Amino acid sequence: MDAVDVKFAPATGTDQEWNEAYGRLADYFRAYRLHNRLRRTELVLEALRRAAETHAKDPSKKPVFYALEHARAMQREWLNGIYSNLSMTEPQVEASGRLGFYLAGGPTRWPQHFMSTKECPPEMVEAMQLAIRTSGPRLQISKMTPRSMDLGLTHTVEDAVDRFGKQPWARYVILAVFVVAVVGYVYHLLR
Amino acid sequence: MIPPAKTTPSTNGFPPPRLASARRATFFVLVLLGTGLGTWLMSTFVAADGKWRWAEIGLLLTFVPLYYQLNCGFWTALIGVWLQNQAKSDPTDLWQTISHEPPDAPLTASTAIVIPVYNEDVTRVWEGLRVTYQSLVKTGQIQHFDFFVLSDSDDTNKWIEEETAWLELSRQLGAFGKIFYRKRRKPINRKSGNVSDFCRRWGKRYRYMIVFDADSLMSGSLMVAMTRIMENNPRVGILQTFPKQVASETLLGRLMQFAQSLYGPAFMAGLNYWQNGEANFWGHNAIIRLEPFINHCALPPLPKTVPFGGHILSHDFVEAALMRKAGYAVRLLNTNRGSYEEGPPSLIDTLKRDRRWCQGNMQHFWLLFAKGWHPMSRFNFGHGVLSYVSSPLWLLFLIFSTVLAKFPDLDRLSPAVNAGQLLLVLTGVLIFMPKTIILIDELFTGRLFKPMKLRFMTFIGSVMDTFIFTLMAPVMMWFHSKFVFKIVLGQGVKWVAQRRKLEGVDWREAILTFGEVTLLGLAWGAISWWVGSTFMLWMAPIVVSMVLAIPIAIWLGSGQSGLSWGLFLTPEELEPPSVLSDLQDNLAEVKGRLQMPPEIEKSYGLMQVCLDPYVNGLHVSLLRRRNVKDTREYLDEIAERLVKTGPQGMKPVEINAIMNDADTVTALHHRLWAAGEEELAPFWSLAIKQYNLAATHPFAHLLANKESVPQTM
Repeated sequence: MDAVDVKFAPATGTDQEWNEAYGRLADYFRAYRLHNRLRRTELVLEALRRAAETHAKDPSKKPVFYALEHARAMQREWLNGIYSNLSMTEPQVEASGRLGFYLAGGPTRWPQHFMSTKECPPEMVEAMQLAIRTSGPRLQISKMTPRSMDLGLTHTVEDAVDRFGKQPWARYVILAVFVVAVVGYVYHLLR
Repeated sequence: MIPPAKTTPSTNGFPPPRLASARRATFFVLVLLGTGLGTWLMSTFVAADGKWRWAEIGLLLTFVPLYYQLNCGFWTALIGVWLQNQAKSDPTDLWQTISHEPPDAPLTASTAIVIPVYNEDVTRVWEGLRVTYQSLVKTGQIQHFDFFVLSDSDDTNKWIEEETAWLELSRQLGAFGKIFYRKRRKPINRKSGNVSDFCRRWGKRYRYMIVFDADSLMSGSLMVAMTRIMENNPRVGILQTFPKQVASETLLGRLMQFAQSLYGPAFMAGLNYWQNGEANFWGHNAIIRLEPFINHCALPPLPKTVPFGGHILSHDFVEAALMRKAGYAVRLLNTNRGSYEEGPPSLIDTLKRDRRWCQGNMQHFWLLFAKGWHPMSRFNFGHGVLSYVSSPLWLLFLIFSTVLAKFPDLDRLSPAVNAGQLLLVLTGVLIFMPKTIILIDELFTGRLFKPMKLRFMTFIGSVMDTFIFTLMAPVMMWFHSKFVFKIVLGQGVKWVAQRRKLEGVDWREAILTFGEVTLLGLAWGAISWWVGSTFMLWMAPIVVSMVLAIPIAIWLGSGQSGLSWGLFLTPEELEPPSVLSDLQDNLAEVKGRLQMPPEIEKSYGLMQVCLDPYVNGLHVSLLRRRNVKDTREYLDEIAERLVKTGPQGMKPVEINAIMNDADTVTALHHRLWAAGEEELAPFWSLAIKQYNLAATHPFAHLLANKESVPQTM
């Protein structure tokens, strides 16, 4: 049996760190429900390759960080190509684009075109553009403000309570009168 | 050709004025006669010698409103039974106005179905929406209806679950553009504010709005019929259906739904008799004419300084009064099928709900004095207040009775004794006659059930429900009295999500809640014994109920609901309407689907939005972008803390702040995936490893898999 020729040989970082990066990328792409394992593997390897180059230049951060940064950059690049004719900001493209891919049935219909640098099939682009959703129909603003209401006696009570609140001793007087009245009445019954 | 719609003569939805006045006069004369007779007998009994002691005055003052309330219930039920047995249909019945219209005639108006939610069971809400939607599809009129789920949920997990459920249900039904989801960042003015917010944003697009509660269920045919009635009666502003309680599993829930099923229709008919065009709105399962609602029904705030003032909690009564003030009728629609809701499963949940309603109804006291109301609206407010104030009145009545029993009028003459005996008989008639007559009516007519065996079981059920409600009454009296006093003293209510399903009541919870009632019962029992053995016998039903409050609460909240013995059956249990049976099938399919470690399952929504690229994309897409320059540093700091400590180390308000900012949520998604193992909280390490194994589909775990449109996937 011939020896296996290992092509991925990063200049910096430990095996453990690159294994961690590999595992995380594999989980990340599985979260996209890409059941095409070949495509997932291609994407993992490409992100690792790019991460290895970056890590060699700046090893201050861990490979897992660079691997996921490159995966994100690859995705942005891909989505920008698909949504280039729509006036959307980059964050909108990133969020809605991912969702658009899912709703268009991308994970099962076009897995090989996920994050592809080549041109995607027009029906896929069309489906992804159509799939972007909003949560409500176009607004038709109305005014709904309470009409003024004469609350009658309630306003009088409000004023009284205001005045009452400024003299806390009055509450204690009322409470005391009430207690004395109750006690007095019970005494009257019992004597 | 469609014949012209038959509207109630010259009123466009209002009952004929003369008929309405005559009915109202008849009702209130009967009520006042009954109250007057009772008051006269009582005054003869307590002050036979013509001298009034303070306790006697107190007793009479508490007696009068209680007796008025008793009379209102009695005459409402009696008139209801009388109406139900009329050969000719009621001339004010709005169903007549569409009786000549073919059921499949196209509708001419658009209607929004709005479902305000607050931390509700997401599966129940969206499966309920599904069956309602499908029921409308069967009518062929779905194109005239749109659905809006209006969320004020502040539990992040619920929020994310609502979003994923919206997407999945819309996908399964092919209903994007028909079902909409909107989450408010700040739940200003709670449910009424939520609905008002809908009205401001989208109200102009629709002529009508059907308001649902989170547990509401309505059939498509009823909603189409309601829309037709509104179209044919342009002066009806609000049309309220009679939502029947369904799907209960506990003894209390089944008792409530049985009682509502048996006695409810007669009470509804009676209410309709005297309320006429000035009925009440109950907050849900009703259709509302949007233009006058937007123009006239915005809720005025009450002064904050008056006791229990501020934002109006029980908005429905006030909206009904405002609608009537604007010149539109508020009508009850006699509906036996098609409108459903669920009730609280246990006594504790019932009390929690009552605490909220109590404060809302108490607030209406201040509106009694406002100018411009229709007189009946004032009555409606007054009755609402009385429904809770009656409990402290009853409590005071019992206290005065105890005092007077200990210190009786020694020279009580025979007329007083006779009056007392007559009053006792009359009160017994007022309390038990309505139920008895309705039961006799059922035994003879079989309105609920045709087979004699079921009618017999209904009879047994009715006797038992009377016994159990009698046991509950003193406990409810004590708590309602406490609520009233607390509200008057300024202790407001918190807005909490309602528990709607059987989760059981544990003994600890029951002892903590009802222990005080047991102690009070023991104390009152001792006092009654001290007063005298005859009085103790009189007080025994109340004292025993109080002493046994804890086991009664446990029993009522248990699953021993009598179903296996065929007790408390309702027509909906024997022959569930399709919306209900479909809902129950779907809920059974979803039950127990998610199998994850408990700590992950508890924060499943949060985990999904942070880890799942699609759920994250959905959430960010639905957020409105806003300028957070001032809070950027704070958001970055708490997001980093969420990564390092997991959700357990965060306050809900912090998680909510993160979830409300699109940039932070997007960054958090990448931050978590790009973090080294040693940077992550154990929660996230476990979540990253488990997520792909557990969630084979990012959106489907909450809903049944009932695809109704061809899928691309």
